[in-house]
Amino acid sequence: MNPTLKAFIKKELVQTLRDTRMRVLLFGAPILQLTIFGLALSTEIKNIKLAVFSQPGDTAAVRLAEDFYSSGWFKPSVFRPGEDPFELIGSGRADAVLIMPAGGLGRAAGRAEGRMQLLVDASNATKARVVEAYARTITARAAAAYGPAPEQPLSFDVRVLYNPAMESSLFLVPGVMGMLVCLVTIILTAMSLTRERELGTFETIVSAPLSDAEILLGKTLPFVLLGLVVFSLVLTAAHLIFGVPVRGPLWQLFLAAFVFVVTTVSVGTSISTLAKNQQQAMLGGFMFLFPAILMSGIMYPVENMPAAVIGAAYLDPLMYFMRLLRSIMLKGGDLQVFWTNVGALALMAVFAAGLAYNRFKQTLD
Amino acid sequence: MNGFSLHRAWAIARKEVMHVLRDPFTLALALGLPVMLVTFFGYAIDFEVRDIKVAVADRDNGPAARRLKEIFSASGYFQVLEAADPVGMLDSRRADAALFIEPGFSRDAQGGRPARAQFVLDGSDNSKGAVMMAYLPGIQRAAAARIYGLEPAFAPLSVETRFLFNPELSSRWFMVPGLAVIIIGLLAILLTAMTVAREWENGSMELLLSTPVRPLEIIIGKLAPYGLLVLTGVFFVYLSARLVFGVPFEGSHLLFLLACLLFITAALSQGLFISVAARQQQVAMQVAIISGLLPSMLLSGFIFPVESMPAFFQYFTMILPPRWFMVAARGIFLKGSGLAELAVPLAALAALSLLLLALALKKFKTDLEP
Amino acid sequence: MNACALEVKGLSIKFGDFTAVDDVSFCVNKGEIFGFLGANGAGKTTTIRMLCGLLTPTSGSATVGGLGFSDGGKGIKRIVGYMSQKFTLYNDLTVGENLDFAAGLRKLEPAYAKKRRAELFELTGFDRPLSTMVASLPGGIKQELALAAAMLHDPEIVFLDEPTSGVAPASRARFWALIRKVTALGKTVIVTTHYMDEAEQCGRIALMRTGRLIALGSPDELKASAFPGPMTELDFNGPAPAEFLKGLEKAPGLLELSPHGMRWHAAFRDTSAMAAALAGLPAGASRALIKPSLEDVFIRLVEGTER
Repeated sequence: MNPTLKAFIKKELVQTLRDTRMRVLLFGAPILQLTIFGLALSTEIKNIKLAVFSQPGDTAAVRLAEDFYSSGWFKPSVFRPGEDPFELIGSGRADAVLIMPAGGLGRAAGRAEGRMQLLVDASNATKARVVEAYARTITARAAAAYGPAPEQPLSFDVRVLYNPAMESSLFLVPGVMGMLVCLVTIILTAMSLTRERELGTFETIVSAPLSDAEILLGKTLPFVLLGLVVFSLVLTAAHLIFGVPVRGPLWQLFLAAFVFVVTTVSVGTSISTLAKNQQQAMLGGFMFLFPAILMSGIMYPVENMPAAVIGAAYLDPLMYFMRLLRSIMLKGGDLQVFWTNVGALALMAVFAAGLAYNRFKQTLD
Repeated sequence: MNGFSLHRAWAIARKEVMHVLRDPFTLALALGLPVMLVTFFGYAIDFEVRDIKVAVADRDNGPAARRLKEIFSASGYFQVLEAADPVGMLDSRRADAALFIEPGFSRDAQGGRPARAQFVLDGSDNSKGAVMMAYLPGIQRAAAARIYGLEPAFAPLSVETRFLFNPELSSRWFMVPGLAVIIIGLLAILLTAMTVAREWENGSMELLLSTPVRPLEIIIGKLAPYGLLVLTGVFFVYLSARLVFGVPFEGSHLLFLLACLLFITAALSQGLFISVAARQQQVAMQVAIISGLLPSMLLSGFIFPVESMPAFFQYFTMILPPRWFMVAARGIFLKGSGLAELAVPLAALAALSLLLLALALKKFKTDLEP
Repeated sequence: MNACALEVKGLSIKFGDFTAVDDVSFCVNKGEIFGFLGANGAGKTTTIRMLCGLLTPTSGSATVGGLGFSDGGKGIKRIVGYMSQKFTLYNDLTVGENLDFAAGLRKLEPAYAKKRRAELFELTGFDRPLSTMVASLPGGIKQELALAAAMLHDPEIVFLDEPTSGVAPASRARFWALIRKVTALGKTVIVTTHYMDEAEQCGRIALMRTGRLIALGSPDELKASAFPGPMTELDFNGPAPAEFLKGLEKAPGLLELSPHGMRWHAAFRDTSAMAAALAGLPAGASRALIKPSLEDVFIRLVEGTER
C-alpha cells in the first residue's frame, strides 16, 4: 500500500479515536440511538384517548365502549358528565369522542339504526384517519351481537410477505441504520479539511510532493473505513437487539454500504472544501442531512411526493441506501433492485467524489 | 465582585451581531433556511397511501375475474397490473401486493357459490400493509353487489365521523407547523453550538475572561442576538404557513409569540450548553447534530405520535423541548388552544429553558475557576 | 553565478487584479541564511509559498535547487522543506505520530525515517519521549520539533515562515542557534521575520514592500546604502523641544529623523550637513554618533518611501 495513504489512515484514525468523547460519539451514540428509536418508534397508533358519551343505563353502549378499550388502541379519557364534547377535544383531554344514540344503543341497533357519531381531533390528519378506521373495524365486529353478519360471498386469503407479524421495528430499524451511518460519516468529514485549514496544518500536507488525488484519498479513505465499521456495529445491534433478519447475501449488504459511505464521505468532504469556517461546515452538513433524512422514505412514502418535487428525492443517496437495506435485509436482495439502486448510488458516488476532487483542487490554487 | 451589567452583556451581543453580519452565509441561512425547508417539505410530504400497485395473476380469465379487477381499479386506491409472476414483482418493489385468481373463480361466482382469491401483500412497510388490509372489506362489499348482485345489507351499527379542526384531513395543515418546530429548533441549536467552542479554540475566550465580564453576561449576550435572528426566521415561516399553505391560525398570536420565545430560548440554551461543555468545534458539532437532529425528528411527535410509544419513552421524550412546542404550535394553529390548555407544555418549555441555561452557566462557571 | 541554491528572475504573482509579488529578482547562495523582511502583506509569504511549489508564478522564472515549475512544483516540493506561518504539527497527536505522518507524507522508508529522526533529535536537542502529546510541549520546543518535521526528508533548502512568532525571547535565541546549526550542515535556510534582531543574524536580507523587492544585501550593506552619512542619537533629557525638531526636519541634508523611545535618531547625507543642522542643538541635549540599526534601515526604506 502507498505509504502516504497508510500514514493518512493512521493519523486520521488516531486523531478521531484518541478522545474518549469522540469514541463514545462514534460508536456508542449510534447503538444507543438505534436502540432508543427501535424501541420507541412505531408506526402503529396506540393509546388514543376516547370518551364515550352515552345515556345512563345504556348497557349496549357500555359493552361497545369496553370493546373499544380492550382493543389495545384506545384508552379512556377522563371527563365529567355533562361536559361539552368539543371542549373535551379542544383541550386535548380526548382525541376522539363517541356519542351514542339518544334512545340507547341496544334499541337503536335492533332497528338497524344504531348510528353513532364519532368526533375526531384531526389536527393530526394521519392519526385521525387511523382512528376512524379502528372505529369502523370495532363497530363492525360488535355488530355481530345483533344478528349474524351478512356472509360475504367473496373472500380473500390474505398472506403477508417479508414481515408476517407486521412489526414496525422490522420496517423502521433498517431505516434508522441508514440514517445513523449517513449522520456519522457526514459529521466526521464535513469539518475535516476546514479544520486543517483553520489550524494551518493543511499547509504542511500540501507542501509535500503529493498528487491531489493522494491527498484527497488520504483525507477520505479513513472515514470510509470508519463508516463501514459503524455500519457493521449498527447491523449487529439491529440483528441482536431487534431480530431484524438479513435474508440476502452479506456481500450485497456490504457492497451497498461501501458505495453509500463513499458517497456520503465525498459529500462531506465537498462541504468541508466549500466551508470557510467550522460553523459553515456544520450548517452545510445540516443542510445536507435534514433533507436527506426527510426524503429517505423512513418517515413517509416518498412515492407520494408531488411530481414537481419528487426529482429531489431521486437525488437523495439515503433513499437508495434505505431501499437497498430493506430489500436485502427483509426481502432477500432481489438482484434487479440491488443493481439499479447500487448503480444509482455509484453514479452519485462518482459525481460527489468528482465534485470533492474539483473543489479540492480549487482550494489548493 | 461585580454585579450583572446589562451594558457588558450588550457589548458581547453587539460583537456577536457583527460576527453574524460579517458572515452572510450564516445570516442567509438563519433567515432563509427555515422558510425554504418548511415550504419545500410542506409541499412534498404526503402521508396518504395512494395508487397501491397490485400485480394480478389472472388464471381464470372469466367475466367475474375481470369484474373483480375492475372493482380494484375503480376503488381509487389500487392500480392493477397484469403479471405472470406477481411475487417476483413484490421482491423487486414493482408491486405492493399480488392478487391470484385461480381457474374456476368465475364458474363459482356465476353459480352463486362463494369464491376465493388470494391476496399477498408486502408487509415490510407495516403501515402501508395495514392500509391495504383495511381496504379489503370495501372491495368485498363491492364484489357482493357487482358480481353476485346482492343488495347491500343494512349494518345494525354504523359510525358517522366528524373530523374537527381539519375537516378535509389535509396532512399539510399539521405537517407545516410540525416542520416549523423541527427546523427552528435545530437551527437554534446549530447557531449557538459553535459560539463558545469557537472562542475557546481561537483563544479569544481568554481575552474575554481577562475582562470583568461575568459568565451570565456572556451567555445573555450570546443568546439575545441569535434569539432575535431565529425569531425573524419564525416570522417568515409563519407567513409561508398562512399564505402558501393556508394553514388556519385559530389561537392567539401573543400566546404563539410567548411559546416561540420559550422554545427558542430552550433550543439556544441547549446549543450553548453543548458549546460550553464541548469546547472544541468538532465535538460541539457532533453532539449538536446527534442530540438535535434525530431525536427532534423522530421523538417529538412530529410524525410518530408520542402517545403510541411505550410508557418509558413517553416520559423520556419529556426532556425534549420540541416535543412540548409541537403540542403548543399545533394546538395554537389548528385548535385555537389557549393558555389554560397549554399550561403544561408552556410550563415544561419554561422549565427546560431554565434548566439548560442553568446547566450552561454552571459548566461555564466551573471552567472559569482556576 | 553557479552557486545559487535558488534563483528568481522577474517573478510576479497575481491573484485576480491584485499583484501580490511584483517583478522580483534575486539569488540565494548555497548554505546562506537568507531573510525576508517586510510588513504584513508585503509579499513575503507569497514569495515563499511560490518557492516551495505551492503557487505557480504568473510571470518570470524561478529555479529552486536547479528545478523549475514545469511539473507544477512537484519536483521542488521534493527537495525543499517548509514550515508555514501557522502551527504545522497536530496538537492532538504525539511527537512520534506527528513525525510518522510527516515521513508518510514524504514516502520515506521507515528505517530511513527512524535514522533521520534520531539525527534531528540530536541536532535540536529534543530529548522527550516520543509518546509526548504535542499539545503539552512549550511553544519553543514545538517550533523546534516542527523544524525537525520539515527537515525529515533531508531537504537541501528549508523555508521558515515566521518561525518564531509567538515564541518567548529566550526560545527565539535558541531557535536561531538551531538555524545556524542547520546552515553549518550546508543547508540553505530562507526565513521571514519581523524581528529586527533576528534579521541582523541573516547573511543577507531582502526587504519587501507591497510586493516589490526594495533592497537586498547583508545587514551591513543595507545600512551603508540606506545611510551613507553619519547618524546621531539625540537625547534631550526630557521632552524634545518642538521648535527645534521642526527646524531639524527641514534641515538640508537630513535623510531620516525618527523617535526611539525618549530619544531621536537623525541621519545625514554627510558630516558637514550634520554639523550645520545640529548647530542650534539646545543646551542640556546630548548627541552621540551611532551605527544605524536595521530598524532604522527598515524605517527609512519601507516607511520612509511613503512620505
